[in-house]
Amino acid sequence: MSSEKWNVTFEVYRQVPGEKPHFDEFKLEVNPDEYVLDGIERIWAFWDRTLCFRHACHHSTCGACGMRVNGIEKLSCITLIRDVTHDGGKMRVEPLRNFPVVRDLAVDMGNFYLQMDAVHHRPVLPVSEASIEKPEETWSPEYDQYTRLSDCIECGLCISACPISGTDPNYLGPAVLAGAQQSGLSRSPQVMGLVDSENGLWRCHSVYECTAVCPSFVDPARRIMDLRKMVLVERVRRLFNRPTRTELRIEETRK
Amino acid sequence: MSDIYNTPSRRRFLQWFNPLGRKEGSWGFSLNRITALGLTLYLYMHLVVLGLLARGPDAYDNFLALIHNPVFIFGEVLVVAAGFIHGLNGLRIALTSFGIAVPQQRSMLIVLMVIAGIASLIFAIRMFTA
Amino acid sequence: MNKPHAIIIGGGFTGVATAHDLALRGFEVTLLERGDICHGTSGRTHGLLHSGGRYAVKDKESAIECIDENMILRKIVPDVLEQNGGLFIALNDSDLAYADDFEISCEACHISVERLTAEQALRLEPNLNPKLLMAFTVPDGTFDPLRLALAFAATAKSNGAKIMTFTEVTGLIVNGQAQVIGVKYMDRCTNKEYELRGDMVINATGAWAGEIAVMAGANVPVKPTPGVMVAFDRRLTQRVINRLNIPGDGDIVVPQRRMNVVGTTSFEVEDPDYVPITDDQIQAMVNRGSEMIPGLRSAKLRGSYMASRPLIGAGMGRSTARTFKCFDHKETDGVDGLVTITGGKATTLRVMAEKTADVVCEKLGINCPCITKEIPLLSYRQYYNNGIKEHV
Repeated sequence: MSSEKWNVTFEVYRQVPGEKPHFDEFKLEVNPDEYVLDGIERIWAFWDRTLCFRHACHHSTCGACGMRVNGIEKLSCITLIRDVTHDGGKMRVEPLRNFPVVRDLAVDMGNFYLQMDAVHHRPVLPVSEASIEKPEETWSPEYDQYTRLSDCIECGLCISACPISGTDPNYLGPAVLAGAQQSGLSRSPQVMGLVDSENGLWRCHSVYECTAVCPSFVDPARRIMDLRKMVLVERVRRLFNRPTRTELRIEETRK
Repeated sequence: MSDIYNTPSRRRFLQWFNPLGRKEGSWGFSLNRITALGLTLYLYMHLVVLGLLARGPDAYDNFLALIHNPVFIFGEVLVVAAGFIHGLNGLRIALTSFGIAVPQQRSMLIVLMVIAGIASLIFAIRMFTA
Repeated sequence: MNKPHAIIIGGGFTGVATAHDLALRGFEVTLLERGDICHGTSGRTHGLLHSGGRYAVKDKESAIECIDENMILRKIVPDVLEQNGGLFIALNDSDLAYADDFEISCEACHISVERLTAEQALRLEPNLNPKLLMAFTVPDGTFDPLRLALAFAATAKSNGAKIMTFTEVTGLIVNGQAQVIGVKYMDRCTNKEYELRGDMVINATGAWAGEIAVMAGANVPVKPTPGVMVAFDRRLTQRVINRLNIPGDGDIVVPQRRMNVVGTTSFEVEDPDYVPITDDQIQAMVNRGSEMIPGLRSAKLRGSYMASRPLIGAGMGRSTARTFKCFDHKETDGVDGLVTITGGKATTLRVMAEKTADVVCEKLGINCPCITKEIPLLSYRQYYNNGIKEHV
């Protein structure tokens, strides 16, 4: 962390529900190695206590502090001021798109969270199933039995960046589809119906912005394409009246 | 409050056409939408022109006089470019849509658009010098 | 008979766990939080599911509390935990000298530890400092702070609790007999003010407990005591790594998702609303963390932040008891109808809530035992379920 001081003008989106939104300007002296969230917090603490925003962990594990900084989705707790503006520059801070705004920068992600449950995305999974690098030199084989929290922190950046989510409120969205891929089609028969539908994975138009903005290595675009392959295999199975993966799994658990 | 579904962007369809600050995939998407609109518009115009054929040789000859106008030729170059851009990008999307070469989608776009650009240039030169 | 109405101020761990406990005991519960769930200290906790090993030697009460609650949380809310255990590692003679005391004390607190040679430890965790001398395994773990709180809040909501976020308490309503009978609050979304009456007000605001208590003329000796956390963009260990020695700065490295988080320090401040972070604090964590995991020195910083612990008692820093205290303000300040719960650690949230609910029930003459030890929590995502069945 350097001892530089920058003068940055924060243009912060303000909205009382039901009223027209506007921007408030705050001129802050910041250290460029601070994070955008630090600036927003200081604005609340010392300038305007009516500012509402969401945050919790401050280290990219909770997913609460997603915002648009200069129009692009960022997780504000790990976004350096240095990376989004310059000394004497401006920074426009707005809430995520495609979610209802609760107040100012805080949005309501309730429906999104419930959809993640609907596709049975696993919040914790065995390391053997986590898509992480397992370097030969330092990987101990007994690691595979351990657990880790899923990469997806349900921050909603991908949904905000997706133009299809911007067009249609019924589209499941990249995070939910990626969540379905992570859990697989065999966990519950409803998942297939959800994703193999007009509001499911066929609605993806290959924009790839979801993967570009994801702060947590989920790569939703790749997962959606992978899910398409999984769904096609399922469909072919059904065509030939072979038992589907879900049915096989339910049989196994019955034995 | 979560009985409200995810709300669509306030700018809805306009979100398709602003890839500024975004990565290659968004540019490809925007280009595809713009060229699609352009090609569709061209298709309608083309049908109108064909309709002229039905009105006899004079009507058609008048139209042929128009097409030597450089503005018109430039318009046709745009149509050719749109065809290449939309077609090549379409191939990329068809491939990646089924999980083929997804990690390479960004470099694919750049390569294909360069090809589209060169092809359009070749056609432009030929059309303007014919 | 009407359900008694408990008003809880504060949506951190203590608040949501108390809401869960009281809802199960048949209370009508309203929780008010000025931000969103976990906006205060709870959100920024290190995320360590304590085995209690850190406190075994000097503070056995804390240690036993930790290990008991550790085991309970693994049972009732496994979906927010990485249950990979931990190591206490010795890097020098001073650490080595602590080993015997550590082992005996852990055993006295029924914390299961196993002695490992350096070779065994390095086989388990190849990225540790190769100069390490020996290690102990402990049943540590990692939890996701926000999701742990949401799981309690979700279950409380499903049992009828009402959780109001972006709702700031602006005053406590005190009647003529020095009894708190409700709160004045402002809905921060609409800027409108309202009043809410209740049978008991529970102050679960942690580092801000003093500020709330003063609204009724009561006093809580809580000292906001921040510490720094530094998150790196690489995860070099599967387990929590602790320094085998008396508790000090930067001696815990918690893995979470694809990061390692090093913490922490300890110093007092007056106002926990904003605590700036300084370069020397970050450097101290980089140095201490790298002593145990050398690869961290070349890892990039991912995030750094301050979290204000609510320590009870003033001016004693680390030696202050880390266990919690429930203040019945009728006894301490002559103000009835108000109870403050503060202190404690994230791992002990459930038992803090149990003790608080016990005090509340006793004050209201209600005989209802705590059952939170046995009840598994709902999926944390159900926090957003407002009773509507179909969502997609």
